[in-house]
Amino acid sequence: MSEPVLRVEALRCGFDTEAGYIRVVDDVSFELEAGGTLGLVGESGCGKTVSALTVMGLLPKPAGIVESGRIFYRGDDLAAADGKAMGRVRGREISMIFQEPMTALNPVHRIGRQIVEALKLYEPGNGKSVQRERAIELLEMVGIPAARQRLREYPHQLSGGMRQRVMIAMALAGRPRVLIADEPTTALDVTVQAQILELLRSLQAQHGMAMLFITHDLGVVAELCDEVIVMYAGRIAERASVEVLFRSPLHPYTHGLIRSIPTPDMPAKTMLPVIEGVVPQLTEMPAGCRFSSRCEFADDRCQNDVPALRGSGTRHEVACHHWERLRE
Amino acid sequence: MSEDLLEVSNLVKYFPVRAGIFLRKTGNVHAVDGVSFDLKQGETLGLVGESGCGKSTVGRTILNLLSMTSGEVRFEGRVLGDLSRKEWRSLRREMQIVFQDPMESLNARHTIGRILEEPFVIHGMGTPDERRTWARDLLERVGLPREADHRFPHEFSGGQRQRIGIARAIALKPKLIICDEAVSALDVSVRAQIINLLLELQREMKLALLFIAHDLSVVRHVSDRVAVMYLGKIVEQAPAQEIYDRPRHPYTRALVSAIPEPDPTRVRARIVLEGDVPSPISPPTGCRFHTRCVYAAQHCREQLPQLEDVGSERLVACHRWREIESGAVKGAAEVKLSEETN
Repeated sequence: MSEPVLRVEALRCGFDTEAGYIRVVDDVSFELEAGGTLGLVGESGCGKTVSALTVMGLLPKPAGIVESGRIFYRGDDLAAADGKAMGRVRGREISMIFQEPMTALNPVHRIGRQIVEALKLYEPGNGKSVQRERAIELLEMVGIPAARQRLREYPHQLSGGMRQRVMIAMALAGRPRVLIADEPTTALDVTVQAQILELLRSLQAQHGMAMLFITHDLGVVAELCDEVIVMYAGRIAERASVEVLFRSPLHPYTHGLIRSIPTPDMPAKTMLPVIEGVVPQLTEMPAGCRFSSRCEFADDRCQNDVPALRGSGTRHEVACHHWERLRE
Repeated sequence: MSEDLLEVSNLVKYFPVRAGIFLRKTGNVHAVDGVSFDLKQGETLGLVGESGCGKSTVGRTILNLLSMTSGEVRFEGRVLGDLSRKEWRSLRREMQIVFQDPMESLNARHTIGRILEEPFVIHGMGTPDERRTWARDLLERVGLPREADHRFPHEFSGGQRQRIGIARAIALKPKLIICDEAVSALDVSVRAQIINLLLELQREMKLALLFIAHDLSVVRHVSDRVAVMYLGKIVEQAPAQEIYDRPRHPYTRALVSAIPEPDPTRVRARIVLEGDVPSPISPPTGCRFHTRCVYAAQHCREQLPQLEDVGSERLVACHRWREIESGAVKGAAEVKLSEETN
């Protein structure tokens, strides 16, 4: 196994609120390999986006606090690095795209200017016309027709799918080795989503980037990712290769989540298998396993002891006291 | 046809586009352009399509939340446009709507109890005590604690708020509920709970549901029949399973093939549509899908295909669906796909 491009170790972070400090991400570790795609899935508030923002050094300050954990980029510890070092890596080496490109793009500047702005940072030596040509090249790379004319347009003149393409073009301007994609297709229609996923796949194949793909959509995970981490209430519940996760999930949460999606083989208008209850409030988390309040297997031990994430075979890890019961 | 609860014929809704300092009308957004369907008691019709195809406008126009440009809506045989204010008001009890974001439709300053009692107050039903009990019964029915009636909307999660939205919709025991992206914003596990609640209520109350959504796999699960919209028109209508298993319109084919399936072992041929949906202000001539259709021929650009009954409860609006289904014509994308697999 080659050395991972990015390695995150035991990340703990959270926010200072009126009600005191709330930990949102608890002991999250993962690795990204060149050319590979790791999916980070979970429902609203499970900590997947906060994990990614922390890696980018973009956790809002001063409310956001990184308690502990280390982030290694090609062997260098980013968490220890000063702001300058982070600035060198962010964008150029590790880049990020977001769910809503409209909020990430500046509405009063033309597309061209915004791309050139990014290029100035990464390739400062280039003259104006070279930058312009590079911008056109980038737009063509992400499949935007009539790229030269598009440079003169404003973000509102583009459709949602086109805006996301522009965002991807900007994210790739610095030729990053790691791309973090935070729900990049969630706001898009399904046919446009298919276009963007196709684009990401082919760009990854061309450039050999490592990708961290954050989503709540297990369908997208199944299509795009090699490995998957399932998060629940700030912790990792399960980690496995995509085939293993869908074929034999070992965490009751993963199992319940997969079963609650309607599939074409299910008879229509029948009751879906559901996970009862709701995710507990961050301030009212159970002391032990955070899923225990909704889990059919939960006993005293689950309520009091935090289950450790442990291996149950090659690269399949689960944080559940009763994982063997699902294997049966 | 008297058994139809709702009959929509040739529904048209244009929104004027105004420009210039005098806000002169310069054109129309053809949001809904001649949509017809019917719905029986206890039945679910799914209405799917992508952003801007007009599906939500259909729902709102039926309830007269938007006034229609032309067309006719009949409810239990009565033409809604002919009703007096008073008649309309009493009929409105029978037809309810649940929106995507219940927070927008629930008054943030009112307690849940007051929100749920409101429909009874408006229609002059019951004493204050009775109304309070009814509101609490409703909460219990949708799976919330009876004591929740003195809390405020912001104290609930998204899924719980949607339960409240549903409770309010069923308060007056309607015959029809329009679900406008009612489960679209919910997390997967919560979404399954709400879908089950809707299915249960439908069975109990013999509700007819018009289920408007963009997620075809959810729509297939809850619907008896599905209508697919593209740029203001229905392009295909069929029994739910059929539309998923054997889509006939090229747009439906692309839509079905684009659904990401939560099963990494299932490899499907994907039809990736090129380009974007054209502007509904000046929709393409002929078939509205021809600008993105891999099968488009000359007559597709000139003649608008009618929604034609092709038997076994299926309707298709495509000049070439028979040729496509028999494999007589191949689209550019299919050619590309078969090359890749070789």
